[in-house]
Amino acid sequence: MIGSLYLPGNTWLHRSPAGLKLAVLAVGSTALMWVHSPSVLLVACVLVCLSVRWAGASVQHVWQQLRPLVWLLFVLGGLSVWSHGVLQALEMVLRLLTLVLAALVVSMTTPLTKMMQVVVWLLWPFQRLGWVDADKVALGVGLTLRLVPEPGVQWQDLREAQLARGLTPSPLTMGVPMLLRTLRRADEIAEAIDARG
Amino acid sequence: MKTKDIVLIALFTALIIALGLVPPIPMPLVPVPLTLQTFGVMLAGLILGPARAGLVLLLYVTIALLGLPVLPGGRAGLAVLAGPTAGFLLGMIPGAVVTGWLATFFSRTEPFKADSSSLHATKTNQTPVWQIAHYALAAVVGGLVLVYAIGIPWLVFVTKMDFAKACWAMVVFVPGDLLKALVAAVVAQRIRRLNMV
Repeated sequence: MIGSLYLPGNTWLHRSPAGLKLAVLAVGSTALMWVHSPSVLLVACVLVCLSVRWAGASVQHVWQQLRPLVWLLFVLGGLSVWSHGVLQALEMVLRLLTLVLAALVVSMTTPLTKMMQVVVWLLWPFQRLGWVDADKVALGVGLTLRLVPEPGVQWQDLREAQLARGLTPSPLTMGVPMLLRTLRRADEIAEAIDARG
Repeated sequence: MKTKDIVLIALFTALIIALGLVPPIPMPLVPVPLTLQTFGVMLAGLILGPARAGLVLLLYVTIALLGLPVLPGGRAGLAVLAGPTAGFLLGMIPGAVVTGWLATFFSRTEPFKADSSSLHATKTNQTPVWQIAHYALAAVVGGLVLVYAIGIPWLVFVTKMDFAKACWAMVVFVPGDLLKALVAAVVAQRIRRLNMV
């Protein structure tokens, strides 16, 4: 039920190493925070839009991600036109759009496994200190993705059970059994994992 | 850290993701939707205690930033960090830790332990009502005050909104968040009591 943002492809953006892309994104985004000239921001925005094209993304795909943000940009843009003037508003909207699109490009061209590798690599110094165990982090991420449908299924189960008994489900009567089931489920899953070693 | 702790962390992360998939309600004036996620934050803190609750939220944020659409409204990716609501997302990490820490501190009980030997170990002489009140207070301080304390300045910084105006706009959320804290406190108290018998 969970699809990643990743778009399969073989453009040069896909081929460049994940760590490099993330580093460029981090540095670039931070730098952009201190740019105040609209023309520079416009150039940055056009560049990022071009890289979205290079990544081979369809307009629909990008639109799907941007849709929740568009009304937000309108509201924010309107607010700052009113309180700070047109130029400031333009600057803010352009900056936000550039940052969001740039991050989207990285997310679209980097598969989840590569991202995880970067995370594990970033955790390396902590692992040396004995603070974290990268394998356990990976296990946690994997388990979580697998378990996302779990609360929904439980909720449905409990709701049906309560309706069958003529009860009207409420947050309180659902919350406690939901969590008890969750805690018990944790026992079962942990046992299963330990049994497999 | 035992396998069961990792499973518990994964299950609660899945729970928070599921709570986020409940359609968010857009709010007037502010670009921050009303979601059930802070409810998950409070529950995690109250039931798992500070360390594991912090890890739950850390895992959640990591998964979101890696580009899986687990945030309300199916948003994801590094783009979120550039957005105006990132403070509320990041604020949930210390929020959960503080909720958990305060809950343990107030009730002088151990958080739910992974090994069954401690099930009988802690017995408080507090009445349920007091315990609920303490939990609710912990949830309000951690899940509401702290999250806002990080989220609002971030909102102001990104959107250049007026600080006082932003604070006033957030008042819409307070009744809902107080209700969430109360429900979380009642549920957590019952779960803890059941585990102590």
